[in-house]
Amino acid sequence: MPSEHKEYRSKTRIYADILDSFLKHGGKSGPTHILLGANLSHDRLMKHLNQLIELGLVSEEADNNEKIFKLTDKGRAFIIEFVKVEKFAEAFGITI
Amino acid sequence: MFVHVGGSVSPLLLGLIIFLMEMLSSFVSILVGYYALKGYKASSAKELLFLYLGFIILGVGIFLRAITAAYFVLIMRTADVVPSSLAGLSNLAGLVFTLTQLVAYGLFMATYVFQAKGLSQQSIELGGIAAAAIFPVARLFYIPTLEILATTMLGFVAVSSLLNWLQRRTLNSALVFLGFGFMFFSHILFLFMIFDEALLFFGQIAQLVGFICLLLMLAKVNKTHA
Repeated sequence: MPSEHKEYRSKTRIYADILDSFLKHGGKSGPTHILLGANLSHDRLMKHLNQLIELGLVSEEADNNEKIFKLTDKGRAFIIEFVKVEKFAEAFGITI
Repeated sequence: MFVHVGGSVSPLLLGLIIFLMEMLSSFVSILVGYYALKGYKASSAKELLFLYLGFIILGVGIFLRAITAAYFVLIMRTADVVPSSLAGLSNLAGLVFTLTQLVAYGLFMATYVFQAKGLSQQSIELGGIAAAAIFPVARLFYIPTLEILATTMLGFVAVSSLLNWLQRRTLNSALVFLGFGFMFFSHILFLFMIFDEALLFFGQIAQLVGFICLLLMLAKVNKTHA
């Protein structure tokens, strides 16, 4: 089996990928769409989503017995700021 | 203040222009540093910490140099005889400023060196004032040996930012390259100030253009939408 190069992602980067995935789905989504968008396993996604809920960046709702996660205003502000920081860092050749 | 660029511009006005250019450069440097701090807090990337410390130290250094130069010029304009202690004080202030500059450039170099490691692991003239009085103030801007060292360090940073632009081909990375490139060019001009003091003025302009490029990059980054 050919060895695949796995790029290291920091915790902040993973959070940003999750929140960005929410944005692409209109700020509200079930876990399936998010795990595909953020490229995470279900277990890891749920672990990170719980942390994002604790941080107030994501909220949880129940919709027809299905768990739905929603991007909060704080989460939206975080991802907007993160994209700016990412562009700034990239201009200096820094990957975050 | 220090250079004779054109016969129509009074030395005092020229001095004021240089002072304002220095203040603006200092402000932009501190602003870029502040933005790098925001980035460091959000991402914990230590390259951003180096960038933050580098730009803050550089900005504070330029601010102190502008204030010190203005103070020296005021003393020289009011005193009939330039105090002998002024030359020593000017040398000391110039040395302190140049050292802050070297520390800042060292931190910029560290930013690019660390980033490269990460990538490999993953894959003058004074009107009305005696000509001899020029020297103490000019020393704030120019210490030959250290200037060569500063120019070399900034050359490394400029080349690294050029390579980054060639790799990414984005306007932001081009503006950072132009920023460091013009700062490097300003040091080249300072280096040849020994032949023509007017190069101090043109060096200041090149430095300001460099910082304006960085300011444009910041403005563009702030317009980014998620």
